[in-house]
Amino acid sequence: MSAKLRLAEAGGQPHVGVARTARAVARRAGAVLAIAVVTVPLLAQQAGDWPMYSGAYDSHRFSPLKQITIDNVAKLRPAWVYQPPGSGSIESTPVVVNGVMYVTSGPTAVFALDLKTGKSIWEWTRPIAPSVLNLGFPRVNRGVAVLENMVYVGTLDGYLFALDARAGVERWSVHVGDNPTGHSITAAPLVVGDKVIVGISGGEAGIRGFLDAYDAHTGKLAWRFWTVPAPGEPGSESWPGDSWIHGGGATWLTGSYDPALKLLYWGTGNPGPDWNGDSRKGDNLYTSSLVAIDIETGKARWHFQFTPHDVHDWDANQIPILVDAEVGGRQRSVVVTANRNGFFYALDRKTGEFLFAAPYAKQTWAKGIDERGRPIEIPGMEPSEKGTLVYPSLQGSTNWASPSFSPITNMLYVPVREMGSIYYKTGVEYKPGTYYTGGSEKRLDEESWGAVRALDVKTGKQAWDFKLPSPTWAGVLSTAGGLVFSGSNEGNFYALDATSGKPLWQFQTGGAVRSGPMSYLADNKQYIAVAGGHALFVFALD
Amino acid sequence: MRRRLRVLALAALLITPRTGWSQPRPAATAATDVTAGRRVFDAQCAWCHGAGGEGGTGPNLHGRLRHATTSASIVEIVMNGIPGTDMPSFRLGLTDRSARQAAAYVASLSRTPARPGPGNAERGVALYQSSGCASCHVVEGRGGVIGPVLTEIGAQRGPAYLRESLLKPAASHPPGYLVVRAVPASGPEVRGIRVNEDVFWVEIRDQAGTVHTLRKSELSRLDREIDASLMPSYESRLTAPQLDDLVAYLGTLRGMK
Repeated sequence: MSAKLRLAEAGGQPHVGVARTARAVARRAGAVLAIAVVTVPLLAQQAGDWPMYSGAYDSHRFSPLKQITIDNVAKLRPAWVYQPPGSGSIESTPVVVNGVMYVTSGPTAVFALDLKTGKSIWEWTRPIAPSVLNLGFPRVNRGVAVLENMVYVGTLDGYLFALDARAGVERWSVHVGDNPTGHSITAAPLVVGDKVIVGISGGEAGIRGFLDAYDAHTGKLAWRFWTVPAPGEPGSESWPGDSWIHGGGATWLTGSYDPALKLLYWGTGNPGPDWNGDSRKGDNLYTSSLVAIDIETGKARWHFQFTPHDVHDWDANQIPILVDAEVGGRQRSVVVTANRNGFFYALDRKTGEFLFAAPYAKQTWAKGIDERGRPIEIPGMEPSEKGTLVYPSLQGSTNWASPSFSPITNMLYVPVREMGSIYYKTGVEYKPGTYYTGGSEKRLDEESWGAVRALDVKTGKQAWDFKLPSPTWAGVLSTAGGLVFSGSNEGNFYALDATSGKPLWQFQTGGAVRSGPMSYLADNKQYIAVAGGHALFVFALD
Repeated sequence: MRRRLRVLALAALLITPRTGWSQPRPAATAATDVTAGRRVFDAQCAWCHGAGGEGGTGPNLHGRLRHATTSASIVEIVMNGIPGTDMPSFRLGLTDRSARQAAAYVASLSRTPARPGPGNAERGVALYQSSGCASCHVVEGRGGVIGPVLTEIGAQRGPAYLRESLLKPAASHPPGYLVVRAVPASGPEVRGIRVNEDVFWVEIRDQAGTVHTLRKSELSRLDREIDASLMPSYESRLTAPQLDDLVAYLGTLRGMK
């Protein structure tokens, strides 16, 4: 049974079609599985795979492969290009497991590709009606998670699907969040043990954020962590009245995991309404925070809030990087992140203790960060009716494009957006399925620029800066070959010397690079993959 | 042909004298909404449409509106923007109520015809020809390609903006007309409009219309002249009445005839 055939049966009616499709799949699943078990071995990770969205649980986006080096990268050439059907852009990082690449395109399609030829093995598309809401983000999908024989993908209309990795047939699906109230999924799920962890989008629609864990085999909910506490729960004192109900705190990117501590590290989004905080005076926990969650219980072990009572839409969803580094004279387990608010932070991974922070991009809203990790705010930087100029813009000093950490250079390579905005504050009322933001922005586009910026993780200090014509949406990859790869809005995909930032190679993809590059091995040959515009490009040495 | 018919229809809408709204709101509600709507307008809309809707980067909103005929259709435009123009969606920043109030205010503006400008458009045509405008700008398919097409400029921009553009062209260049200056390590400097720039290359259209493709690593400097324009100022070239006439003529350019 092909995935394409299944799609025809789903009939393009996403809301009513799901249950029917899921039941139909369940009826047939037994037979398909029985055949498969005999003929195809279980998928298992191999050396040279890229098994999850951020490469590994520590989210380094560092490839240990080193066939491609600073000395031969000039000979990198396209090996193949994949152009998926439809016109949706690709913001996905491909996942490679056991000889197959799984990549997604917008609004919600998954493609299983041959590593050497780029030919598709199967394609699965979720029919997404024009009426499906995407409030505050484009109609995109950023990737999959894989466990054994299953591929997991979230959908724009708020479902989590488990597909058979060998043929793309649907095994089960669960309803994660109501799309008519603005819930949506664009992030790649994360598999830990037998759980699939998936976040939710909708922070501009007045949702109450949560993070879900589902049983990887059955789709049964294991736990739900609410990012905004209900009255009586710890943190609820930071929300007056009923403001918590539409408090935001979306979990719209993938997190990281420490297997030794059994802790998930997940960033949370802005509080709602975004730019008018009058109805939610207080810190608004656990929005714009990093939360460490026990994988078994789904309970928070600790939290750290970067921007208390945020009124600039400075989500803290940027992917946390787990590193072991010497800080303050001793070796520590650390989690570092370049936050949207313009500061780089280092926290103790076990306790959440604030270690240090350092500005890494232009910001005009805080004098600095105090010894407890709270910002020392400059008065008068809130959005106003007449408009308030603040750096960074609401898209932040960095955004969802992933940074990369190289254990060889001990540098964090951050995709940086140097841009200011005039922030406006307006009235706001909650209406289901509409924007709940209380303001707007005017971006200072012409004076803006971008960079890939190398930061020393021990200090947050800049080691080098590779400038780009505009604020970037491209993720970064670093490799054991001494290289850093990233892209630009102007279509460039390029390789830099990881130590100096010097450009060594480039290719014009012809479309904005708004995706994360990755590297994999096929038949003992190293490949580099990145999406540009509507196509996926894969490169190898001549 | 279809496009031409549509433009003609729009032009007809523009010049039809305005007699009143087809769906007037009850007077009491309208008065409250108009007052509240003015505050919303001043904060969110005046940036482009000018104080009191007299026009600026965006069109003058007095007199018959080009894209809306009812209050409801103004709300629609405020919330969704107008594809193919600079008018953005305000769905992110405005509630339904404030959009309705802003629309009520805009509707009240449109009931008052645009104040006639001081100039004479017929004299303006002659000035346009004699001042060299056509060497860089296209009107109705004729003219040079260095500057923006002006065929619809009167529907897109208000008179204050047009006057400013003639006096201080560098004060606001339209998107896509950034002036850059590239100085190669060897060879002559190239100054012109930035056609394209990526991380490694820049393409520049010079004053003669020639496009130069330059590798950035071979340049000793590349300046983005954000406050520059290739257009000369007409401040000392035109008298005040001549300026009025030229602005009046540009105001009549509302699409292919």
